[in-house]
Amino acid sequence: MHAEPKHKETGGYSANIESHMANVHKDFHGCFSFGLKFLLDNYGPEEMEEYLRRLARTVYAPLIESVRTRGLQALEDHWRHIMSLEDVDFEIHFTDDGTLVLDVKKCPAISHMRARGYEVCARFCEATRIVNDEICRRAGYVSEVEYDQENACCTQRFRKEADR
Amino acid sequence: MISCTEFIMAYSELFSFIEERHGKEELIRFWEELADEFLFNLRDLVAEKGFQGMQEYWGHTLSEEGADCRTVLTDDEFRLEMNECPSVAILRRNSHLVPYPDYCEHCKVLYRRVIEPFGFKCETTVLDPVMGRCVLRMTKGGKG
Repeated sequence: MHAEPKHKETGGYSANIESHMANVHKDFHGCFSFGLKFLLDNYGPEEMEEYLRRLARTVYAPLIESVRTRGLQALEDHWRHIMSLEDVDFEIHFTDDGTLVLDVKKCPAISHMRARGYEVCARFCEATRIVNDEICRRAGYVSEVEYDQENACCTQRFRKEADR
Repeated sequence: MISCTEFIMAYSELFSFIEERHGKEELIRFWEELADEFLFNLRDLVAEKGFQGMQEYWGHTLSEEGADCRTVLTDDEFRLEMNECPSVAILRRNSHLVPYPDYCEHCKVLYRRVIEPFGFKCETTVLDPVMGRCVLRMTKGGKG
């Protein structure tokens, strides 16, 4: 989609045009990947992980609190919302033992970066594993991620800590 | 995956993280590398089309971000008047976060570094950092 800012004036031309996908600017995935690469290249993988764990505790503090109080339903709601915004081909379901399973069939971040020519950080998918792990640990849950960065897909699993 | 809708918060946290652990000089180096290696789409548009390229770049990115802004394009300048920066609005709405205190500074570093080598002067005036009001003005006569 390509629209214009809400208020545009070019020479004598003026118009008000609403955006239909406000705040979904997928180039941000490339910028995030660049930030991870900067940390990785300059300070090493431990520093990249430290940043991601801090990010999980701060940015996702409301989600951590929600998972503590509402359980995995809060995570399912979160992922459905995000996957819908990003227009992702995905499946999400609970197994009989109460594990929440998220299958991302084509990662929108990796797909967009490749399409636009942005470099994908070598440990880009590790960010998902680390952030999920920190959010879940803080809320009393555990997570696992099986990812295939080359093919831009992953399976994420979430369950109650005691059930592991 | 960190959603692109959550990126601004992660970005602000990255600024704080780098400065706290590695110093302001390293943060500025990050912004400079970001300008040099990531903003090639802006660089290409400015190189090819000058002011019109700037209009195209910000027209596209700011519409996706849902910005409340006004752009002015003449033969002598390109001006972006931001009434409410969408990034600053996200940081303000998410009060559980402590935003990087000089968040607006990165725009000054990034855009000047990309645009001025092509013979333009790039001035960023932050009018209200809390509400995200600023003016980004490009005129002829930079380093180029």
